Amino acid sequence: MLEIKNLHVAVEGKEILKGLSLSIKAGEVHAIMGPNGSGKSTLSYVLAGRAGYDITEGSIVYNGEDLVALAPEERAAKGVFLAMQYPVEIPGVTTMTFLKTALNSQRRQRGEADLDAVGVLKLVRAKAKTLNVSEEMLKRALNVGFSGGEKKRLEILQMALFEPKLAILDETDSGLDIDALRLVAEGVNSLRASSRAMLVITHYQRLLDYIVPDRIHVLAGGRIVAEGGKELALELEAKGYEHIVGQAA
Amino acid sequence: MTLAFNLDRKAQAAAVVHSHGVPHRRIEEWKYSDLKAVLGEHGLGAVVAEWLVGNLPSGVEVFDLAQPNPPAWVMAHVARPTQNVMNAASLALSAGGVALRVPANAKITDPLKLDFTGMGHVRGLLVLEDGASLTLVEGVGAADFRNVGFEISLGENAALEHVRISPDTADAVLVEEVSLHIAKGGQYRAHFTGFGSKLARMELEIALEGEGAEAHLSGVSVLDGKRHNDVTTHVIHRHGNTNSTQLFKHVVAGQARAVYQGKVTVAKGADGSDSSQTAKALLLGDGAEADLKPELEIFADDVKCAHGAAVGDLDTESLFYLRSRGIPEAEARGLLLHAFLEDAVAEIANTDQRERVRTEMLAAVKVIA
Repeated sequence: MLEIKNLHVAVEGKEILKGLSLSIKAGEVHAIMGPNGSGKSTLSYVLAGRAGYDITEGSIVYNGEDLVALAPEERAAKGVFLAMQYPVEIPGVTTMTFLKTALNSQRRQRGEADLDAVGVLKLVRAKAKTLNVSEEMLKRALNVGFSGGEKKRLEILQMALFEPKLAILDETDSGLDIDALRLVAEGVNSLRASSRAMLVITHYQRLLDYIVPDRIHVLAGGRIVAEGGKELALELEAKGYEHIVGQAA
Repeated sequence: MTLAFNLDRKAQAAAVVHSHGVPHRRIEEWKYSDLKAVLGEHGLGAVVAEWLVGNLPSGVEVFDLAQPNPPAWVMAHVARPTQNVMNAASLALSAGGVALRVPANAKITDPLKLDFTGMGHVRGLLVLEDGASLTLVEGVGAADFRNVGFEISLGENAALEHVRISPDTADAVLVEEVSLHIAKGGQYRAHFTGFGSKLARMELEIALEGEGAEAHLSGVSVLDGKRHNDVTTHVIHRHGNTNSTQLFKHVVAGQARAVYQGKVTVAKGADGSDSSQTAKALLLGDGAEADLKPELEIFADDVKCAHGAAVGDLDTESLFYLRSRGIPEAEARGLLLHAFLEDAVAEIANTDQRERVRTEMLAAVKVIA
């Protein structure tokens, strides 16, 4: 589903990713672990199409298509979803209005008919319940005054609503207490499917106790320096990044 | 000759105009709106502009200021002395205008529509007697140049909501001065939507003259091309325990220019007054300009006065967030612009008028997003 080859990315002239390669198939859950500043968030933004990230070399192919050529909204309509580390607060736009606009924008780009307000509301309510997102949250301005946990739950609600083919979760565990983490992880696990690939980006092994990946990649200095099964997370936790990164070098 | 019943006031006004001349950018209050430059050799002229009142709600009385023998309520309020040069000009050079009266305790539910049209100078007078209430919907017709001098008097516990939409007119020069006197317990709520002209200026001077008097001003402007929109306010808290709020939001594209000059004066003895002023602008492009100047003058004790102004551009992080959820760029920008303007539109109390302003605002936002 996703094929990244020799990816080099620079931000404001500074190279952050230095030849990253990664391949994910439908149905798989991959984790990317790495110390601060290793390029984890850069990778997630590049995949979602944020401006200011210059691809100087390499390629990203998504379902046989050059992902780089697509605008962020086109990527979303084609099934790419990024759950952000820091969801943006937008005063003046209610959460419900945002969800409806986003959902119908994606549908329109795929040539599907708009859902009416009642249809969207029904869909959102059904998904919101399991993620403990209240009606009151949906009426508030998008992410404004939301706690860290509420913001992350809303990201996962969007994931459930948009039903992406490729979901990227950027530090979804950051700022969550153990109960919130469990709730979010359950939400993510319920979305695991044979037609869906997931890329879980995290600093800590903790999240991977709940979302168990098929494959783990260790990112350091803009490259994948180690790969392995889920046991690699435990090794990282026990020995630290220094150990693994040092071995690779 | 019109306003013939008040020749001495006309003469006083003419003297004010004569001594000041046409306002230009070297006069502080007109620094950002150079009227003399846009009027050029035509100057202020002495042409008569027109007015038109829509369906008169029952209970509202109208008098044509061009007619002789005005009733007592007109004589009591019309043509107060002024040092405002354009207000004086409308009096000195106008051949008439309209006077409207809502009698004591009359609660008028249907909005009253009042249009000013044509070129030249015209006067307006609106009197709400004690306990009266009204929604005034002011229409602004395009014209090469028009100057409206509008006097409003609110009696004790009277309530007026004033909604004005100024159209998108590239070549028009439209100025209006509203001077208001608000008695004890009186409430003035106003919203001004502007899409800009060659030069558009709405000037308000509001005196809160009795305990509990309130003025709540809001406005949005959406400007493109070389449009200009100026809102200049002066709220004077003459009496204690009075309240004023101001919220103005501007979206400026192209080489357009938004101006907000807001002065709040709390007079000596007006203790316990409460005022707030907020003006914000989003600039979409390097050629766009916003001049926001909130000012405070306090001569009393125990007052609460807050003011703030901010100029910025569209937040790129918010824009990316919306696009990453599948919302196309133009639509995402439109959503953010609407979100920025919405709280000022939400200040309109009358539901129909709020909806009407929102619709026009959204249409304008769509064009520049």
